[in-house]
Amino acid sequence: MMLDAFLAGAHQVFAFDTLIYMLIGSVAGIVAAAIPGFTVTMAIILTLPLTFTMGPLQGVSVMLSVYVGGYTGGLISAALLGIPGTPSSVATTFDAYPMARGGEPGRALSLGVWSSFFGTVISTIVLILAAPPLAMIAVKLGPWEYFSLIVFALTIVASLVGNSLMRGLIAGVIGLGLATIGPDPMMGQPRLTFDSAILTPGLPFLVVLIGIFAISQLMGEVEDHGKGNSSDALIPDVIEFKTWAVMREVLMHPVNLVRSSLVGVFIGALPGAGGSIANLLAYDQAKRSSKNPEEFGKGNPDGVIASEAGNSATAGGGLIPMIALGIPGSAVDAILMAALMVHGISVGPRLIMDNADLAYGMFVAMVVASLMMLVVCVLSMRLFLRVTDIPKQFIVPTVMICCVIGAFALNNRVTDLYLLGAIGLVGYGLKSIDYPLAPLVLGVILGPIAETNLRRALMSDGDWTVFFTRPISAVLLAAALLSVIFSVRSVLKMRKKDRPATDEQDGD
Amino acid sequence: MSQSTAKAAAADAGASAALRARTEVARLISYIVIGSGAAFLSLRASTLPTSRWEPLGAGSFPELVFGVLAVLCMVAAVRAVIDIRKAGGATRLGTSFSKWFVTRRYSFALFGLLVVYLLSLPLGGFSLTTFVFLLIAQLMIAGISKKTLIQSLIAALIFSVGLNMLFAEVFNVFLPRGVLFAG
Repeated sequence: MMLDAFLAGAHQVFAFDTLIYMLIGSVAGIVAAAIPGFTVTMAIILTLPLTFTMGPLQGVSVMLSVYVGGYTGGLISAALLGIPGTPSSVATTFDAYPMARGGEPGRALSLGVWSSFFGTVISTIVLILAAPPLAMIAVKLGPWEYFSLIVFALTIVASLVGNSLMRGLIAGVIGLGLATIGPDPMMGQPRLTFDSAILTPGLPFLVVLIGIFAISQLMGEVEDHGKGNSSDALIPDVIEFKTWAVMREVLMHPVNLVRSSLVGVFIGALPGAGGSIANLLAYDQAKRSSKNPEEFGKGNPDGVIASEAGNSATAGGGLIPMIALGIPGSAVDAILMAALMVHGISVGPRLIMDNADLAYGMFVAMVVASLMMLVVCVLSMRLFLRVTDIPKQFIVPTVMICCVIGAFALNNRVTDLYLLGAIGLVGYGLKSIDYPLAPLVLGVILGPIAETNLRRALMSDGDWTVFFTRPISAVLLAAALLSVIFSVRSVLKMRKKDRPATDEQDGD
Repeated sequence: MSQSTAKAAAADAGASAALRARTEVARLISYIVIGSGAAFLSLRASTLPTSRWEPLGAGSFPELVFGVLAVLCMVAAVRAVIDIRKAGGATRLGTSFSKWFVTRRYSFALFGLLVVYLLSLPLGGFSLTTFVFLLIAQLMIAGISKKTLIQSLIAALIFSVGLNMLFAEVFNVFLPRGVLFAG
């Protein structure tokens, strides 16, 4: 049964047209993430409308190629310009940039590419081993446990993303609230629509996502326009990549490679925490366990391996809760989930049982995507180096147009475009006063699931205490409370730390 | 520490406290706006008819969610007021806001252009309106010169007419033709 599903999935992924689309996706992901300021999330958003006409597995395979390619693309500007192409390659700049500055840009890039490849492969192996058994357990969860799981996921997201737990919680609850506008998920009764034609069908998740992430990000890109880029480009005419020698070098650091990948998998599997945290944590772990920690930050290969393997491994890690529980680990996973929902596939613990070929096909696609990324990078890295030179004047308006097409193509409704503009402005406003946007987006996608499960849970007798008397539900709610308490405690600790410094200054 | 260094450090600390206070004022306004909206929506949801089949009706979940949001915003607002007072109060708010706006003038101009583009899309159709939007936006960001004008014209043509053809021919996604060209 499992082998049949695996072969059926592999058969679809290895179809010629799927492979060609995946190759294009891989190149697009690398190119998009190589441009400083453009994230993997945005690259996936832009791919989405192109996949509407494809089959579900073909579409998701293409998006996974963009995802895997995107995590590697951030490496290019991190190593050569010292600017992380995406937030997930911040730690890459610590050692890859000094290495490139020290005359070995090719080695820095090759180290990153190979580490990304091995990180993705390791995370896919963990995904294949962990997702099916987790899904088997998850199907046994009732609506009480499911609702508590969503509460836990949202509190974790709020406490891990951004600088303030309170603003994270507010953003998450705004997302839940936005999801309630329109017909209710059980009876279809219209709610909070104010008789407006725009609001009556509800707020389409993808339009909210494109507006919140992409439009606000693009508006932010032209802030402080005219100041220019002060960083020096470092693209020499001749770059020696030493591909195979570097592959051996990466494999000679097996402990660091596996540890960083597992850190990436674990962080990726936590809702809300993604590559942006994993690369820093993996780097920190590598530095702590190194015999020569003083060499970190000066072009140490271990630093590049840790950061790149860590951020790439979050791709497979993030898919674990999405495939096994139907809870996306990050905004990118939320888009993948939404893409499947557009094709009428309900994502949750039954995905592996009802659409086994799709789930196993996704695993195969992950491995194929990482191989493609490797081949594309090894063969044409030199070309991607020029991507960082493309001026903003072309990128920003063009990407904006692609967002408009994406929002329109979903339902062919012009009114969705007005929503896109309004939500983009709200997203930009929230972002400029430091609200994290990921909890909001996860709130929008988890809202209907939370509501359906809450109403089902209370359908028989309306007794709220059941959430605390059922053991798994109680554990999940306790974990949610603990995550809030820990987060509040760390904020208070930081404030205490800051206070003596201020007092000292005042006393001087 | 010399006297001049101490003075500079104190001035820096004062400036950073003032900046923190001004940011908190912006956040306080956001808490009040979001909180008031949430309270209104929670009340509105409570007026929705209850269900005969289940204890929770269509309005219960939005009522709960917006209620929680209103409470969170209230707590955050109180916290913000305390922080503002601790930082010595917010001063020169008007100047600060105009500085904030000036820094982001291109962002708002781009957004304004996007709004005009979205509103005229059903009328002028994708190709024409996109061409105009791209041309103006590119020239706004790059500045007007002979070189940027030629570059922008070519890019606008490719990404308006070209994208329209790509989506129609390859992906079977038909973008708005526009009332002017509908006949």
